[in-house]
Amino acid sequence: MELVFQLLITTLQISAVYILFSLGLTLIFGVMQIVNFAHGHYFAISALVVVYLMPWLVEAGFPASAAYILSGLIGIAAAVLVGLATYQFGFRHFQRDMVGSFILSVGFVLLFDGLFLESFGGASRSVPSIVEGTVSVFGAAITGQRLLLCFAAILTAFALYLVLMKSKLGSALRAVSIDQEAAMLQGVPYNKIAFSGFLLAAGLAGIAGALIAPVSIVTPAIGADYIVKGFIAVIIGGLGSIPGAVIGALFVAFVEAFGGYYYGASTATLAIFFLVIAFLLFKPKGLFGNG
Amino acid sequence: MKNLTNNKMQLLSNLTFSCLLTLGVAAGAVADESSKPIKVGLSVPMSGAAALWGQGADWMCKKASEEIRDSGGVVVDGTTYNYECITYDNKYNAAEGAKVARALLQREGVEFIGGSLGTAPVRALQSLSERMGVLIFTTAWGDQIKGPDYPLTFTQMNTPHEILEPLISYVSEAHPEAESVAILNPNDATGQQTEAVSTKAWGKVGLEVVSSDFYERGTTEYQPIALRLARHDPDVIDLGATPPAEAGAIFKELDVIGWDGVKLVEVGTGADGLTAIGGDSVEGVYMGAAVAFNGPSVTDHQKRVNEEAREDLGESLNTVQIGFYDSLFALKAAMEKSQSIEPKKVAEALPSVTFQSFYGNTARFGGEETYGSPQQMMLPVIVTRIEQGELVELGRINPTE
Amino acid sequence: MANYQIPSWVIFSIFAVLASQYFSGSHSASILNSIAIAALLAGSLRFVMLIGELNFAIAAFVGIGAYSAGVATTMLDISFFLAILTSGVAASLISMVFGSITLRSGGPYFLLIGFAFTEAMRIVYSKTDVLGQTSGMVGIFPPIEFDDWLSLFVIIICLGLLFLMYVIEKSQFGTIFKSIRDNSDVTRTVGINVLYWKVVCFAIASFCAGIAGALQAFVNNVISPGDFGYLLAVFALAYVKVGGESSIAGSILGAIFLVVLSEFALALGAGEHIFYGAAIVIAVLFMREGIVGLVSSTISWITKTRASKEERV
Repeated sequence: MELVFQLLITTLQISAVYILFSLGLTLIFGVMQIVNFAHGHYFAISALVVVYLMPWLVEAGFPASAAYILSGLIGIAAAVLVGLATYQFGFRHFQRDMVGSFILSVGFVLLFDGLFLESFGGASRSVPSIVEGTVSVFGAAITGQRLLLCFAAILTAFALYLVLMKSKLGSALRAVSIDQEAAMLQGVPYNKIAFSGFLLAAGLAGIAGALIAPVSIVTPAIGADYIVKGFIAVIIGGLGSIPGAVIGALFVAFVEAFGGYYYGASTATLAIFFLVIAFLLFKPKGLFGNG
Repeated sequence: MKNLTNNKMQLLSNLTFSCLLTLGVAAGAVADESSKPIKVGLSVPMSGAAALWGQGADWMCKKASEEIRDSGGVVVDGTTYNYECITYDNKYNAAEGAKVARALLQREGVEFIGGSLGTAPVRALQSLSERMGVLIFTTAWGDQIKGPDYPLTFTQMNTPHEILEPLISYVSEAHPEAESVAILNPNDATGQQTEAVSTKAWGKVGLEVVSSDFYERGTTEYQPIALRLARHDPDVIDLGATPPAEAGAIFKELDVIGWDGVKLVEVGTGADGLTAIGGDSVEGVYMGAAVAFNGPSVTDHQKRVNEEAREDLGESLNTVQIGFYDSLFALKAAMEKSQSIEPKKVAEALPSVTFQSFYGNTARFGGEETYGSPQQMMLPVIVTRIEQGELVELGRINPTE
Repeated sequence: MANYQIPSWVIFSIFAVLASQYFSGSHSASILNSIAIAALLAGSLRFVMLIGELNFAIAAFVGIGAYSAGVATTMLDISFFLAILTSGVAASLISMVFGSITLRSGGPYFLLIGFAFTEAMRIVYSKTDVLGQTSGMVGIFPPIEFDDWLSLFVIIICLGLLFLMYVIEKSQFGTIFKSIRDNSDVTRTVGINVLYWKVVCFAIASFCAGIAGALQAFVNNVISPGDFGYLLAVFALAYVKVGGESSIAGSILGAIFLVVLSEFALALGAGEHIFYGAAIVIAVLFMREGIVGLVSSTISWITKTRASKEERV
């Protein structure tokens, strides 16, 4: 029983980052009908900034938590900035053109891959935990840092939910993702909304990156590793659906945790792929997809 | 009428690309003739996960050629030669490896490969180099890589065959109460080869191998892996060829779930990644392919070079990269002994020369018993351990031949 | 009766064949091989674009073709020509299964699952002992008598398949494909089984991709799982986009241009990624019609006066 709890806790903590990641992916798709392969790089730049800035700040005399929060905010800002750049100079011209925007995002991916490697070098880094110590939940162990990560993810998802359901921006985003033309007829300023939606998604990726920095191996290539899982999560959940993204992320995390334990990591990775292909047989657009 | 114009346009378009095609191929075909410097090619990953190794390899090759030049160059038949390093990115796969091989051997006319990294691209390189009579050095493991069928291939670093038995004997002697071991390796060429050798070696010293698993490079979450490793509560956990950063992550997760025991990263190449990610949990980890630069047997020369490397690359040097330094000195020795710069003659001279390796010892080639012919650089196996966050050298096991 | 531009194809083919014989020095021959295979790859990717889908699974089928050729040659002792044919068939058959499931979803789902499929196949190869796992499969050689003619053979096959795809595109089948791309609902109302034709298109393209993989295996002699990752699909995409999506000539042009340029980019290391990335971004943003577009608009600008004169006749 203790084992099952441990695996469940593991599932939850793995899913935390995947959720944040897929929320951004699905949001962009819902609002702009585009698949942004470069989403992983907004995530990566944030993580990289935190991992480089925080030790520097600590050395300059800042206490650990302050250094982390400051570098985290700067990291998120960096992610949003990069997102802004790609939107302004690229995606803005490709709304609703899925093929064109994907190709463009692929170009950005290669470009950023090379640029990040040149700027940050190939070494792996991490930052020390902000919250030390291990906590025990129902006999299962989880580090304080990861618990924080889970709370932050839940909080962010909930905040996003509130924004989407209660705010004017949120209503506009939802309207646009259901029926773009009808929304425009109602007076929704599409371009502004698309812009806000895109930046919001980049910000989500930035938050994910800042949160993952203390618990993961950060290299310039980190975006690629997460983007595959993120894509799978949104396929399962259905592109454009927020609850779908959460469920999809949980599913991927579940297979990785339980499958990885009982059958080995490589097999689990393989299983995820083939399970999803089989899933598409029954649900071609994912669980709640409106793509 | 429109059809006619369309046709003309198509025709003209076609002629344009035919011209482009010709120009392109001609441009690619122009070879660069240089006789004084001896071009030494490198086929290493310069992008992706293994980028750091490739960057270090290139750095070490250039360092070695610089030092050789400063000490008078390579003197053959009255002429002085210097080495020129040409490094191309093989992206750790066969297709790029083949492309790099062709560019180096056919376009650049390189006759010596100072080092190659990655089993798949090395095999692609080999299928060309052996046919063209080019001498290659490689860090790739695997028995089939060298031998009498591949007379021009030489290995420039210790492989699991050389490292594992001495290392595992050392560790089991230091921990006689250990009875079981769980093994984990990355699902790539180095991991698969390490696993094959290690399971035998553990059996030889009497430990029971309770599990042996593989994980995918690019894994982001290591808790399930750690849980699975610890499920039989082994006394020893052996991470084989797992790269330092990932090993650090795994040990960290093992620490969280409460496992403690003898920790080993057999072909661990460096402490920096381990400590950066693993923090306190990597205390006591044994490694067999790392170099400690603060021990008593470290020369001033080594310290100086490592400091420079650290500044440029961000991490200390490791045995993989050092191989790219040693190969040039081995080449120099063989060229001067055979008084020739022809690959075949140099290859014949290699098994009988000695040269000063970066480790400070006099190195030679051996390995006839294991591989069929003496194509393995005989280097000391350096047993290191992380103590109080620093890499400490516990001992050197010199090659027995 | 469709205009198949036969004279242009013939001229281009003769040129290519002559080039392969003239430049039979090893390195240039290798570049020609790479260009031919790259062009076939780009053509295959572009073919699926006719039904409005982005086939990111192309790398997986190239891999299936390559490994089929490897297994056929090294383990089953199947003759050279038969091995190549088998690779195409194998890739095509598997694509039919994959396509009938995933093409139902189409669009972004097809794209993303193709991506996932590529990675899954890569893992399968790397875990399979008989395929050499991550060390790769070696010893895939064409028969020795063929050594001098390999380049010619590769070019002929690639050009032949490209021509085939071109003919299909210009035929009634092509019309069906394009109508699916433009509005599959309307197409359905006319009684056309959309999924069936999508799978047909996909199967044809995958056949070509499989052959491209087999040719790559014979040209390089060694293949490894890492050769067939999503980066391969990215390069194919670059060839199509930079060359110009509107015609098959674009795929060929893009392949020539980028393969030759990448030979010079080898020494750049990580810079190669920046280079390809920049090429794609620039092509997508500023050269929507690719090189073909540039060439066409230049030529039409030159022949503008003559054209209008002829029209009046």
